[in-house]
Amino acid sequence: MVKSPDDPLIPAVWEALAGVRDPEIPPCSITDLGIVGDVRATDDGAIEIDLLPTFAGCPALDVIREDCETAVADAAPGREVHVRFVTSPPWTTDRITPAGRAALRTYGVAPASGEEPRICPYCGSRKTLQESQFGPTLCRATHYCEACRNPFEAFKPKLIALQVRRPS
Amino acid sequence: MTLGESPRLVLLLALGDDELILGHRHSEWTGWVPHLEEDLAFSSIAQDEMAHARLLYGLALESLGEGWDEDRLALGREPGEYRNAVLCERPNRDWGYSLARQFLYDTADDVRTQSLLGSSWKELTEILTLVRMEETYHLEHARTWFRRLAGGPVAAREHLAAGLEGALGESLAIFEPLPGEGSLLASGDLPAPSSELLAEWLGGVGEELEAVSLDYVLERHAQVGEMVPTASGEMEEERPALSVPGVERVGGRWVHRGGFAGAGGRAGRHSEDFPALWEDLTGLYRAFPGATW
Repeated sequence: MVKSPDDPLIPAVWEALAGVRDPEIPPCSITDLGIVGDVRATDDGAIEIDLLPTFAGCPALDVIREDCETAVADAAPGREVHVRFVTSPPWTTDRITPAGRAALRTYGVAPASGEEPRICPYCGSRKTLQESQFGPTLCRATHYCEACRNPFEAFKPKLIALQVRRPS
Repeated sequence: MTLGESPRLVLLLALGDDELILGHRHSEWTGWVPHLEEDLAFSSIAQDEMAHARLLYGLALESLGEGWDEDRLALGREPGEYRNAVLCERPNRDWGYSLARQFLYDTADDVRTQSLLGSSWKELTEILTLVRMEETYHLEHARTWFRRLAGGPVAAREHLAAGLEGALGESLAIFEPLPGEGSLLASGDLPAPSSELLAEWLGGVGEELEAVSLDYVLERHAQVGEMVPTASGEMEEERPALSVPGVERVGGRWVHRGGFAGAGGRAGRHSEDFPALWEDLTGLYRAFPGATW
């Protein structure tokens, strides 16, 4: 299928996608989470959207796909809309925008920073501990702030370069 | 409508079925682990593994004809068409065994997927790049608990050691050569033979066991019991190989010396534990074809 990169509707489609939320992280739009990989128009006017799953087993993926289809159908009436998940490029936590990071903090989730220990989203302290690599969703780990004594969640860093730490 | 034996399909099913079947076993811990964080951990790992299986099945579907979909591939095959390693289908026993198995499986999977990143099969390397980012957390979980339990108290160390003794023999057969491996090597789909990966993994696991003085588990390893395949029939000439697992220490490094406990999984021959798991896993799908929820 030939691409039509200059389709005038593309910016409106991006705007519509910016209104779609991950149901597990309501304050953060999917564009700020960086899970919209590509938006294209084909030569017969269909809109194609590639989404990048945060974690492959995320149960919210089907909801996000349906929400995208609805939002884009409203923004591009009469157009066919195809939303699919792709594995390449892989989603990484580097794709979260500064606005997305701020939104995560308001929700009590420390954005992935690559820094250890993680910064408490409530009080900003670095006096925190990781309690478990696993949490309420696949993409978040559970931490505890020793300064304000709040448990909090943190996005798991997901980076291609993240090497497995072998015991020395 | 049979699946066929194309070497690429065998490779995908070996990788995908390991994840699906072990993921199913991990999921059996949901609600039962005597520790909330570990309940979440095993449940989350199970969820990841099943998603990884789904990605691999998705790639397999591209070469399968009409009538196949991901549900049918995951749940609609006969027992003899599953190619998971026997280790993955064994019941959980206790948490010490489950943790030991997770440690052995995920370290083996790490060696295998790292090697496969060098495959000439681009779609597979894309999937595995994504999968390995998530597996990082499984490895961290396994190694964190491995070191903590090995450090005592005595009861914790004994549970870990018993789990390792139970799982180690059959974990070697994760690297049982695949049917059709020769042509996968020739095409570049498989960058290294299973025997090479086994040597790398076993050497590394030997070092990790020695670091916590649990390498005596390897010395006892030859006593692991014989596996009796029942799911799909004949033992035939493979039988002698089933009962002679072996490792030995050569030049400061543990090496495999021929034979596997629990071999046969890659050819669809499973243990006496598989039929019950298969019935549980596929029961709904078989009773209500096309059911959605």
